[in-house]
Amino acid sequence: MATDVLVSSLVAGLMIGMVLSLVALGLTIIFGVMDIVNFAHGEFLMVGMYTGLLVAQGTGMEPLMTLPIAAVVGFVLGVMCYFFFVKFLLRGPMVAQLLGTFGLMLFLRNLALLFFGSEDRAIHHGLLVGKSLSIGMGVMIPATKLAAAALSVASFGCVWLFINRSKTGKALQATALNAQGARYVGIPTDRMNGLAWGIGGATVTIAGALLVNFWAVNPYVGLLFTMLAFTIVALGGFGSVPGAFVAGLVVGIITELPGLWDFVSISLDLRWMSKVPMTSFKYTWVYLAYFVIMLVSPRGLFGWKR
Amino acid sequence: MEALRNAFDFSDFPKKDLVVAACLAAVLLIFPLFPHSSFAMATMIQFLMFSIYGMGWNAIGGYGGQVDLGKAQYVGIGAYTTAVMLLRWDVPFWLSMPIGMAIAVGWSFVIGYPLFKLKGHYFAIATIATSLVLKDLFEVWDLVGAARGLHISPAKYPPPDFLRLIFREDIYYYYVILGFFFLAILVINWFRHSRLGFQLRAIRDNEDLARSLGINVHWAKIKTYALATAFVSAVGSFHAVYIKNIEPEDTMSLDISVLIALMAMLGGAGSLWGPIIGASILIPLKSYLKEWLGAKAGLIGIDLVIYGVIIMLVSALEPRGIWGIVERARRRSR
Repeated sequence: MATDVLVSSLVAGLMIGMVLSLVALGLTIIFGVMDIVNFAHGEFLMVGMYTGLLVAQGTGMEPLMTLPIAAVVGFVLGVMCYFFFVKFLLRGPMVAQLLGTFGLMLFLRNLALLFFGSEDRAIHHGLLVGKSLSIGMGVMIPATKLAAAALSVASFGCVWLFINRSKTGKALQATALNAQGARYVGIPTDRMNGLAWGIGGATVTIAGALLVNFWAVNPYVGLLFTMLAFTIVALGGFGSVPGAFVAGLVVGIITELPGLWDFVSISLDLRWMSKVPMTSFKYTWVYLAYFVIMLVSPRGLFGWKR
Repeated sequence: MEALRNAFDFSDFPKKDLVVAACLAAVLLIFPLFPHSSFAMATMIQFLMFSIYGMGWNAIGGYGGQVDLGKAQYVGIGAYTTAVMLLRWDVPFWLSMPIGMAIAVGWSFVIGYPLFKLKGHYFAIATIATSLVLKDLFEVWDLVGAARGLHISPAKYPPPDFLRLIFREDIYYYYVILGFFFLAILVINWFRHSRLGFQLRAIRDNEDLARSLGINVHWAKIKTYALATAFVSAVGSFHAVYIKNIEPEDTMSLDISVLIALMAMLGGAGSLWGPIIGASILIPLKSYLKEWLGAKAGLIGIDLVIYGVIIMLVSALEPRGIWGIVERARRRSR
C-alpha cells in the first residue's frame, strides 16, 4: 500500500526538520540581537561539516564524538567574525551589511574550495553507519538520521535553556529588545553581540557535524542551507527562538513534498501526477514558501520584530 | 523633447569630471585600433556588459535604496528569449531583444507588485528567492534546453551576420556593446533629471516623508524596477549571442546577481559614474586573477577568495564606495 510512502516521507521530513531548526537557530539569534542578516550562515554549516569529516577521518574517531570540537570551532569562528568584521559593518548602511556578509560567504566558500577541492566527501565509518530502525509498515529509519535529529533537539533545548534561564541569556534578550536601554543598565552590548555570533556559529557547526553523517559535503553546500534557514526564520518570525523550532519542522516537511506527491498519485492512481518531475523542484517549494510567507504574514508565526 | 534635452544635460557635473569622462570615452572608441590580446578584448566586453548591468541596478538600488539581489533572473530572461527565438524561429537579434525586454518588464511588474510591499532585508531575500525559483524552473524546462542549456552554433549563420549579431571577431561585439553602453549612460542621465528620479531619491532618503508629500511610493519603485530590468534584459540578450552557450547556472545564479550589485556598490551607489568605476576595477581584477592564479598556478578558487576579501573590506571600511572617497577628498581640498 501507499501508506508506507506517506509515513516514511513524513518521518524523514520531521527528522530533517529537527536538524534544520538547529541550523536556523543561529540565524534567528543573530538577527534578533542585532538586526543583521548573515548570508554566510550556510558557509558556517559547511565549516562544521568539514570539521566533523576531517576530525573523524583524520583520527578515526567516532563521528558523533566530533560535536564538541565542531562547536568550539564554530564559536571561535563566530566570535572572530564579529569582532574583526561584523562590528564595522554595523555602522554602515544596509546595502553594506548585506553585501559584506555576502563577501564573507564567498571568502569561506572559496577558501574551502582551495583547500579541499570541489569533490563530494562523506563519512563512511562509525557506529551508526548502515544501521537502521524499523518502525513497522515497512518504514525504515536510518540510525544516523535518527541520532542527528535527537541530538539536534537536545542542542536546541540547551541553547533555549541558556537564553531563558541564565543571567547572560537574559542580558542577551535585553540587548535584542532594546540595545540602547541595555547599555544604560550596564550590559556590555558589544560583548553580547559577539556572544550571539559565537552561539550562532557553534549551533550551526554542530548541525553541520551531525549532517555530514548522511549528507555529502562540498564547498557549494552552503547556499541551499542559507536559503532553507532564511525560510525557516521568516516562517517562525525573525528573532524568535521557539518559532525557529516549529518552522524548522514545517520546512522539513516541505522538503519532503515529492514523497507526499507520490503518495497522492499512487493512492488516487493519477497518471499525470507521476509524470511531474517533482524531485527537481524539491527546494523550489521552499523558496516559494519564503515568498508567500513574507507577503501573507511578514512577522511569521512567533515574530516580534519588524 | 524635454526628455532628450535632459539625457544630454551633463551640466551639473564639474568641468573636470566631464573632461576626464570625454577622454575615457575616446579611449574606449579607439581601443580596438591598438594592438591587444583577445583576452584583453574579452575582458573589455565583459567590463562594458557589467557596467550596463550595474547602471540598471544602480537605478533601483543606488538611487532608490532598494537592495535587489535577483537581477540575474532578468539576465536569464533576456538571454533565453533571444536564444530560443533564434534557434526555433530564426528571429533576428534586433527583434528578439525588445521582445525579451518586454517579457522581462512584464515579469518585473508581476513580481514587483508584491515584492515592493517588503522592505530592507526582507525585500533583498525575497528577490533572491524569486530568482532561484526561476532558475530551478529553467533547469527542468525542455523548451529552453533544461540543465544542458542552449547552444548557438555560428556555423549555421555565415558571419558576419549583422541581423542576428553572429560574428567571428570580437571587435564587432565590442562596438555593439559600446553603443549600448553610451545609450545606457544617456538613459540613466535622463532618469536622474526626471520626475521619477527625484521621487526615488526622496524615497531613499525618507520614505515616510516622501509618501506624505504625495508621492506614490509603491508605484514609483515598481516603475524604476521595470526600467532597471529593461537594462539588464537587453544586455542579457547580448550575452546570448556573444557567449553562445546559455546555461541556467551561468546566467541566473546568485553570484551574477551579487556581482551586479557589487559593481555599483564598489564604485559608489547612487552616482552616475559609480557602476562604471566599479566594473572597471572588478572585471579586469576578476578575469586576470582567475587567469594568473587560478589557471596558471593551479590555485582554484583563490580569485574568489581575494574577491570576497575586497568585498568585505569595502563594505566594512568605505560603504559609500570609491566615488565616496573621491567626493570626500574634494570636500577636504575645498
